[in-house]
Order: sequence, then structure tokens, then C-alpha cells
Amino acid sequence: MDEVFDVETLRRAARVAGFAWTDAELQPLRRAVEASLRLLATLDALPLDAIEPTTQYRIL
Amino acid sequence: MSAELPFASVTELARMIARKEVSPLEVVRAYLERIAARDATLRAYITVCEDSALAGAREAESALVAGRAPGALHGVPIALKDLYDTAGVATTGGSKILADRVPDADATVVRRLREAGAIVLGKLHMVEFAYGPEGLNAHHGAPRNPWDAATERMPGGSSSGSGVAVAAGLAPAALGSDTGGSIRIPASLCGITGLKPTYGRVSRAGVLPLAWSMDHVGPMTRTVGDAALLLRVMAGYDPADASTSVLPVPDYLAALTGDVKGLRVGLLRAFFLESATPDVRAAVERAAAALQSAGAIVDEVALPAVAHVAAGAYAVVASEALAYHTAWLTSRPGDYDPEVRTRLQLGAFVTGAHYVKGQQVRALVRRDVDAALARRDVLLAPATPLTAPRLDERQTTLGDGASDVRSALIRLTRPFNFSGHPACAVPCGFSADGLPIGMQLVGRPFDEATVLRAADAYQRLTDWHTRRPVLA
Repeated sequence: MDEVFDVETLRRAARVAGFAWTDAELQPLRRAVEASLRLLATLDALPLDAIEPTTQYRIL
Repeated sequence: MSAELPFASVTELARMIARKEVSPLEVVRAYLERIAARDATLRAYITVCEDSALAGAREAESALVAGRAPGALHGVPIALKDLYDTAGVATTGGSKILADRVPDADATVVRRLREAGAIVLGKLHMVEFAYGPEGLNAHHGAPRNPWDAATERMPGGSSSGSGVAVAAGLAPAALGSDTGGSIRIPASLCGITGLKPTYGRVSRAGVLPLAWSMDHVGPMTRTVGDAALLLRVMAGYDPADASTSVLPVPDYLAALTGDVKGLRVGLLRAFFLESATPDVRAAVERAAAALQSAGAIVDEVALPAVAHVAAGAYAVVASEALAYHTAWLTSRPGDYDPEVRTRLQLGAFVTGAHYVKGQQVRALVRRDVDAALARRDVLLAPATPLTAPRLDERQTTLGDGASDVRSALIRLTRPFNFSGHPACAVPCGFSADGLPIGMQLVGRPFDEATVLRAADAYQRLTDWHTRRPVLA
């Protein structure tokens, strides 16, 4: 994982999201980003194709 | 009299004031004196509105003398988490970024409470921008859990000051907000009652957001009766909040019959009780037995999709929170608490596809909870799987293994933010080391009346909610 999510990779991803964060700001994020992406990857493994996402919050 | 006033319930205070057994000025002064004596240590308040509270009390007294009909909360002081807009009073969200922000108008629920006669005592500490369940705040320091201020334990968050103020007698009631459990977690850790209503039951207009689709606002009180009283005033359609329901607001107090005969209670064991520490698990099982002894029908039920709530809710909250904070993360990143800034920045690495998958999981979770409640009136679970951790504690051991404290605190509350169902946390015991234990009762959408009836009946059977912390 370290090879994938080095600071340069995070900088590029952050730029795509619209943020020009410095290396000093990104360095402390590395482990947290890796943990976050591991958690999000569990969503990819779920059989969700037939499930319509919640888009309406007014229940009644 | 005044020594007992800070621990009188809202219901008792309103009754005593209406009968002129005590004056609003006496009540407000009793709280202001206690805040002055205790809050330097407990740190519940960011702003104490002493002058306006005293002025409000004098007005309330004049109205009574003039014979004007009192509102349901006439002369009763309340305190607000510092993310509710208050006209002319700073509303900071516990942040440095909004330290000088003074709104022109009250949040809808604040206006409704004032119209019912409530007097705002002040604004309460919170986790910066409500993004964290421990109750920590790098700018202001953490409020101290009054049950063990010597050890310095977490009050729970993000409505940390609300939990501490109500538990320590610095306010008879407070408002909190709950995106992943931020009303019910401090209620559980501080030994008070906390109600997260159904999504859409109470207006969020004028309340700083964390994640719009998961934010709920509600009361934090010492008794379920008080929560019912406050909800009756706060709830209802608001044109300023498009998510609010047009359903009429019932008389929640009338629902508090004390009767649970035939009430169908689903005890959530898998994921919920199984993750609790032994003290918490035993207390909630005793609560289920108490309800059963009073005539409730208790069985066990599971919510299979809750295993995916952590990932799904993370995708939703991280994305929505980032959207709200984008401009400040660019212009003022150094003004955030570093831990909160990190949580916000992580939202930049969540894709749109993951956000939608989170919403798909949300549909599954809602379906699970609805199915469990199709044959039951309420669900019962611990509110938190553990009692208040130390302020410096980062790792803990739950009933099903090791966990970081942050994940542990939100684990059992967040599913019902995701699903939108109403949930009420009430005290249900104490651990071997004297810390409060909280359970939660969850109901069908917009059926707060049944949730409150069950919780109130439990409080009539037990005295956990009457215990007070001994302050040094």
C-alpha cells in the first residue's frame, strides 16, 4: 500500500478533488487515507446492483 | 429550595413556576450560581448569557404577575449546543473559524422554545463542527464527565457540553445534535436521557450542519417526560427545512402511560449486545427483563446489514462534510483542530461511486430496521458498548474484540442515523467503577410516542435516571 499511496499520489488525487494541499499537509494523511480506502473497498464487495440508493429523506 | 432547583426536572420547574411556587428569577439565578461555581472545572459552557437570561426571567415574572397565560416552558431555562443559531449571541460550532459569528436570527427550534417561554442560559461546548464522538476539542479543551472528573473521562460527543450541563445540574435541559450518535453518546456516558427524533420530525434550519442527510436535532434531559415535553414544542413542519414532515405533532406527554403490557420489544443481540463490555451487556439484559416483568413481550432480532454501516455511513458523512467545509479547508486549514481537519480532508478521497454505494447500503439498513419493527413496537440495544473512556484513551476492548475508541463510541448509534428511525437513550445502570451505562430504544418512523412511552415506563420501573454525580 505504501508504494501506491505515497505523497505524490495523494497530491494528485487531492488536486483532482480541487485541493492544492502541501506535502506537509498530506504526509499525516497517508495512513488515514489507506485505512479509509480499505473501508470503502468493502462496499465494492457487496451485491448492491439491485438496490436503489436512498435519495429521498422525507420518510412521510 | 434553591439547592434542589438545579436538579428539578423541566416538568417540575414549569409546574412550580406556573403555580408561582418559585419565580423564574429564582430558577435562573440558581443555575447561574451553579454555573459560576462549577463550570470552571466542568467546562460545559462556551458562552453564558447571564444578562439576557436574567432579563428574560424578569419578563417571565412580569408576565405571570400580569396574569398572561404561560407557555409550556414558561420561565424554564435551557442551554444550547453551540451550533444552534441564536440572534445576537455568537454561534461558533466549537470552532476558531466561526469564533466571531453572531447570527441575526434564532434557529427555528430555538424560536419555538422561546415562544413556549423558555429562557436561554447559554451556549454549550461541542466537538469542532460536531465531527467526533469523544467530546474532545483542541480549541476549548474537553468538558469533563461529571461522574469521574478526577480521572478526566470523556463526556462523549459531539454534544459534550450538553451532556455535562444536564448531568451536573448546570441546566435542566439542553439541545444536542446527532449525526452518528452525538445526542445519545453523551447521554449514555453522562447518565442522562437523549432523544434523536425521526429524520424530518424536527427542523434543522439555523443549525450548523455536519452531514445534511444524517443530521438530527433533539433534546437532552434528565427524564423521558422532559424529552417528551421539549419534543412537543420543537417538532413539526418548517418551511425553512425541506426535509421536515407535514405530519401533525402528537401530544407526546399523553403517550406516557407507564403501561408496557403487550409492548413488543426486539432485543438486538448480534452486533449490538455482542459488542458490549460485560457490564453494559448485563445492564441491558436486566433492562429487557424489567420490561418483560412489566408485561412487555421481548424477543431477539438481528439487523444483518448493520455490519456495513461503518463503510456506508463513512462514505456519506465524509462526502457531505467535505462539501460544507471545502472553502475553509482551502482558505483557513490551519484554523481547524488537526484531528477534525484530517477527518474532513479524507472526504476528498471518497469517490462519487462510493457515496452512492453508501446510499445503497443505507437503503438496505433502513429495510432491515423496518422489517424488524414490522412485528415489534421498539428495538432495544446498548446506546454505547462501553462506559466513558479516559480522555487520553485511544484503544479499547469490546465484547467482540479490540477497537479504537472513536469507532466503538459510534458503532451502536450510527445505524439509526443512517436509517432515520427515532431512538432514545436512557440510563440503565452503572459499571463496577461507578460510570453510567446507557441503552437505546428505537421505534418506527415518526412513532416517537411509542419510543417515549417505553422509555418512560422503564424510568418508572428504575431509578438510574435520578442518580446524581458527586462533584468535588
